[in-house]
Amino acid sequence: MKVELAIIRGGEKRLVPFEYAPREEGERPMALDVLLQAQATDIPDLSFRYGCRNRTCGLCTVDINGRPRVGCRARVREGDQLSAPSTLPVVRDMVSRRDGIARQLRGRVPSTLRGNDLDVEAPEDYHALTACIECYACLDNCPMHARNFDQGIERRDENKAYTSGNPFSLLKLQRIRLDPVATREDANKALNAAIELGIDACYDCPGCKCGVGIDLKRKVVKPLVDASKALLSED
Amino acid sequence: MDKETVVLSYDVIVVGSGGAGSAAAHAASRDGARVLVVTKDPIGCSDSKIAEGIVTVRGVAEESDSHEVLSDNLRLAGGDLPVPEITEAFAEDSEEAYDWLRRQGVRPRIDSKNGGPVVLPIALGGHSHRRSVSHDNGGLAVGHAAWNAVVQGDGVDYIEDSWFLDIVTEDGPEGPVVAGGLIYDAGEGCLIAVQAPAVVIAAGGLSTLYFPNTDTMRGNTGDSYAVAARAGAELVDMEQVQFLPFCLTSPPSYEGLLAGEPVTAGYLGVIRGADGKIILDSVMLRTRAECAAAMVRAVEAGNGTESGGCYLDLTANVKGERSAKYYVKFVHTAVSGVMVTVRQALGRAASEFKEIWEVRPGAHYCMGGVRVDAEGSAKALTNRHPVRGLFAAGQAMGGVFGGNRLGSTSLSEGPIFGARAGHKAAELRVKKMPEEKKSLSSEFEIALRSYLEVFGQEGDRSGSGMIRELQKAAWNGIGPSRSRVGLERFLRQVADFRKQASSIAVSKESIWNQAFIDYVEFLNMLDTAEAVAVSALNRPNSLGAHIRMDGGNTSVLFTKPYSVGVFHAKSGGLQTCKLNRPSTPWSTLLAHAYHGLKRRLELKILWVLPLALQDRIVEKKFRDVMGSLETEKPEAERKVSNGEELEAA
Repeated sequence: MKVELAIIRGGEKRLVPFEYAPREEGERPMALDVLLQAQATDIPDLSFRYGCRNRTCGLCTVDINGRPRVGCRARVREGDQLSAPSTLPVVRDMVSRRDGIARQLRGRVPSTLRGNDLDVEAPEDYHALTACIECYACLDNCPMHARNFDQGIERRDENKAYTSGNPFSLLKLQRIRLDPVATREDANKALNAAIELGIDACYDCPGCKCGVGIDLKRKVVKPLVDASKALLSED
Repeated sequence: MDKETVVLSYDVIVVGSGGAGSAAAHAASRDGARVLVVTKDPIGCSDSKIAEGIVTVRGVAEESDSHEVLSDNLRLAGGDLPVPEITEAFAEDSEEAYDWLRRQGVRPRIDSKNGGPVVLPIALGGHSHRRSVSHDNGGLAVGHAAWNAVVQGDGVDYIEDSWFLDIVTEDGPEGPVVAGGLIYDAGEGCLIAVQAPAVVIAAGGLSTLYFPNTDTMRGNTGDSYAVAARAGAELVDMEQVQFLPFCLTSPPSYEGLLAGEPVTAGYLGVIRGADGKIILDSVMLRTRAECAAAMVRAVEAGNGTESGGCYLDLTANVKGERSAKYYVKFVHTAVSGVMVTVRQALGRAASEFKEIWEVRPGAHYCMGGVRVDAEGSAKALTNRHPVRGLFAAGQAMGGVFGGNRLGSTSLSEGPIFGARAGHKAAELRVKKMPEEKKSLSSEFEIALRSYLEVFGQEGDRSGSGMIRELQKAAWNGIGPSRSRVGLERFLRQVADFRKQASSIAVSKESIWNQAFIDYVEFLNMLDTAEAVAVSALNRPNSLGAHIRMDGGNTSVLFTKPYSVGVFHAKSGGLQTCKLNRPSTPWSTLLAHAYHGLKRRLELKILWVLPLALQDRIVEKKFRDVMGSLETEKPEAERKVSNGEELEAA
């Protein structure tokens, strides 16, 4: 099976053809299988991220034909092109720089929850949000995240954090709002953080897509949009 | 390397950001220390995150579950290799560690009857009491907690995409003293020298040595052990590598992934050899080590499948109409993530337990590790000096589990010993930081130079290729089946590999120099593999996870227990030592043996009963521990879509 790998080094991008040799008859390999075999044969110093091979660690996200997919569980077809997630600056080959995302929550989430009794049941939506594996597939087509690269300039603050948010960060904030152990103050702080990160970008957005199937629109974006509108109309 | 070395200073460096590293960083920062967390993968992306998410919490279900009982369970399962003060610490702190995880956002289901967390209905193999709490979304719940503890700020700085290369020590009057560490920041493309009086190693295990026969994170390249040993620390029990018995053999993309635990084999699960005959019954009551050992011996005796595995036969569990639904519910509660994997890999019929599964042991956890005390401080033989300021926690440390780790214990181990090490490390902080940074000592300069020289190294080998060769050799030499001949051959291969390391080509790229990363990880894997092999040679008989095909079994009753220690000798090369451990009293051993025999007998009797009666008895057993399924309200749909559905989308 022939595929193309986008090899990016020192700012130069090359499209390198690669012939995948199936390991058993009729094998439909995953994107990660292709990268591992390319490393074992043609490109020994190929750079790519991976961890658990079991769709849980969130590391192996790559773009297949320009769309982000969890590499260890995304099948590759003849002629597909594999490249680094395009929503973040590419460091080398399939590796994009991710650390500006998580950093934007520094100081915006409580360091230790101590509001209530720990033996309290969390709502179903809280558990639904815990399913997030942090694959960052949700950054794709996100108008809020796109603000970080407005006019081609990368916008990071002094802590190297992106100044505008994204569905992942909103999920983390909404999780705090749903957590029965968090205090009211924690929840309000989370809502304000969503506003600071630019929740208004979600007002007219048709919605985002999660890499592992969490209903982001209904369980993350809508509650935050509604609450932020209510809060802002109070002022 | 065209960028200048960055010089930083902190009170505590924590290497790793999983369950142990995050707890260490949090604890140290709470005590006022300025902490730097260094991780090569993004924050929280660790074995804790990808685990099944089951946590040991002493006393959560049964009052009789005392500290002594849990501590004894650990030592008994570990073949008396665990250190009593360490297992006692585990037993004392498990509830506090769980509460810490909950304060970071881990939310169990709450039992409406007793008002506490819902506990798995059946004790996991080797646990005398029910004390394992499972979580929706498995380890992801713990992953989020670790992430929170590091990212939130409050005195913790962190850098990801950064490889911790080595601890730098200086010679004091009482042996080596930690001066800091060296880091390769691949994202920025520079080396960082960090001056710090304390380093907590919490960088996980070594299972990537056995790739693809492993279900753990790629990053487990033995960094913890290699880095600590090079700094002068002693390692213990390194021959004790846990192989989970039930890992998949196919299809290729799923090779090595977990397909279940002994307890999820249910009351009627058995292991069969290639010839279809039962090689181990009462699987549910066995430890991971017992199951893996039975399989390895069957394969060695020629009764294995073509891909070197055996068959896990769970079909009897779903033959009885009444009991089947209890079994299915039990497995899906205990290991929901595993069942998604099995469904995708082996198909619907297998995932409904109607077909047998081909399985093979896979590397999961290293019980051995840095020799430390119960606070995580490095310990040393009386004629040597411990490295002052060196701490280890989580999978990096030894002495907790010895010959076998019981299910659900590692997610407690991380925060228990992470917090202990973090607090202790914070005590070494310098009260007032000097106004100006000290210039780097000669020890730093020497260490820096040794790494800077690697950039631009010429040669005809690749690091990734060498790693693959080492993985192949490791599976054969220090895998689940071992012998003197095999171990000695492996050590010769290690010596060869070491010679070839200087022929690995490394470019001069500063940013994300993949060849440099591969080179560094290859050497860590090599150092670790050698420590495993040397330790394995020094244990001629089988014990726990260590199976010597050319030796006998170690009787816990008649042998004085000892751990194998290993360290770099001043003269070069690895030196080993024996560390005596106290025996469990005869009375405890006999009581344990009697208890085990009784439970096994109960299961054996089930097999000879007619199906209808067997069905009723098993149903009753499940009902006694799970409650009736008849009265239960339909469960709200809370599972997110699985990978299969996504793929179709």
